[in-house]
Amino acid sequence: MSYSKEDVLSKARHDLARRLGVNERDVREGSVEETDFPDTSLGAGTEDEMSGQMLTRGWRIKLQANNQTYEYRADKNQVRLYNFKGNNFLL
Amino acid sequence: MNRNNFLIHIALAIVLILVAAFAGQLRRWQQEYKHRVRILPAEEKTRKAVTTAELGETETHTLTAPEVLVKFKPGVSESTIRAITERFHDRVEDSIEAVPGLDAIDDLDDADAVQTAAAYQALPEVEYAEPNYEISIDDFESNPVTPSDPRFSDQWALANDGQRGGTRGADISATTAWSVTTGDDDVVIAVLDSGVDYTHSDLEHNIWQRPDNVPEYVDDSTGPIQDLQGYNAIMNNADPMDENGHGTHCAGIIGAEGGNDIGITGVNWKVRIMPLKFMNRGGFGTTKDAIEAINYVIDRKNNGVNVRVISASWGSTNRSQALGDVIKKAGEAGILFVAAAGNASTDNDRHPHYPSSYDLPNVISVAALDRNDQLASFSNWGAKHVAIAAPGVEILSTWLGDEYKESSGTSMATPVVAGVAALIVAKEPRISVEELRKRIVTSVDKLDSLKSKVTSGGRINAAKAIGAH
Repeated sequence: MSYSKEDVLSKARHDLARRLGVNERDVREGSVEETDFPDTSLGAGTEDEMSGQMLTRGWRIKLQANNQTYEYRADKNQVRLYNFKGNNFLL
Repeated sequence: MNRNNFLIHIALAIVLILVAAFAGQLRRWQQEYKHRVRILPAEEKTRKAVTTAELGETETHTLTAPEVLVKFKPGVSESTIRAITERFHDRVEDSIEAVPGLDAIDDLDDADAVQTAAAYQALPEVEYAEPNYEISIDDFESNPVTPSDPRFSDQWALANDGQRGGTRGADISATTAWSVTTGDDDVVIAVLDSGVDYTHSDLEHNIWQRPDNVPEYVDDSTGPIQDLQGYNAIMNNADPMDENGHGTHCAGIIGAEGGNDIGITGVNWKVRIMPLKFMNRGGFGTTKDAIEAINYVIDRKNNGVNVRVISASWGSTNRSQALGDVIKKAGEAGILFVAAAGNASTDNDRHPHYPSSYDLPNVISVAALDRNDQLASFSNWGAKHVAIAAPGVEILSTWLGDEYKESSGTSMATPVVAGVAALIVAKEPRISVEELRKRIVTSVDKLDSLKSKVTSGGRINAAKAIGAH
């Protein structure tokens, strides 16, 4: 299955709401920008993770909740919460 | 003649003999390096112009050498050896000190070397006997070879004619290399990645299949696995099908079938790609699964599979001692480990990237170049810890769904180097892993753009690496 821009945005909102324990309606979309990431972990690999060293086209998604901004990174295969230690991806 | 004159004449004679001997040795050295690499029984030395029409090869052999190499069993005395050789009307030309009992034997009748070796082999005193194969390096009048693959003109890494704003000649000189060899399906390269789409029509004929005489893989903890064409370390099963595309892309760079009128060609037209899957649909995996997959490769090598190279287009900044240890074991098994330098635009000497930064004799770290011989903007570098650079920007290769795609990264540069390693092995099957690594890094095209960026200071050159100029 290959994710579209709408798919990954929806997944990111759902994931952030779940992590913060808030309603999805309280997660606001900041911006969605198409960009290249440095590797197949979208430059957001976690410890003990090896990733393919291939530039990967995807989306940088900024979401806002609880007066803070969170960055998600996504491509057609995955959605990741950037700058987060621990399990940060959805396949 | 008085005593003084006599001594002067003696001294002159000695000098003349030494000069003549030195000149003779010079001539032998000259011959050794003037001949391109070919392997033939030495007794065929007078044969001339064997032509491989398809590749435009020609060769001439001129050398003097003993016909057979014979290893006598321990305990066989010199007098016995002398008696045997005299009986065959041969003579021992040289003894190889490093291997006790091994002698180079000259057949004074100039009989067929294969038959002579067989005659020695039949003796109870002999452990083994073989024709003395000539290995020499010729000045090669190259006839560049172009494959019939319709999208070859888009493969600037192999033949850069300035397409799409590139620099003519900023490539790996593949077409010249192919005038010597296009690869060998006896050579196996492990693609340690997200697996490989082994059904891709440009790959399927170059996918490794476990031969009947190689036993199935046995995982110590889970038991036997019917590994028909590789290994999946994530699921610990026999299906390494790629779900991401990254591994399929790397495999095509190494060995998409050449000359088949389909798509592209790999650095090798023919080779055996061993698909290994440790990265998932997202294109990432764990250190533990990478270790499991390398362990599989070593096991297959120890069971007789001629796997000589692991291509590793992945990494992270986390150092694992266990991963380093298993890569070292692969080196001890005679396997070269080619690794991506990374895509963070950083100096690996300051910020190491693994596995490419392991200081191991079988590891080659690879940076990426663009079509103008410039270090790619994303590529890591390292004067001490990145060995070489190779094309890695806008590289066309195979993709999932029988498709093709251009991708960029040190991931793409890595299989170029792995592919050239396989070409060298195809040409010189007995080359050691140390010699293989040395050959690759010492045969580069030096580039100003790579000064103080990579250890070799250059871009890989397939033609030079296999002795085609």
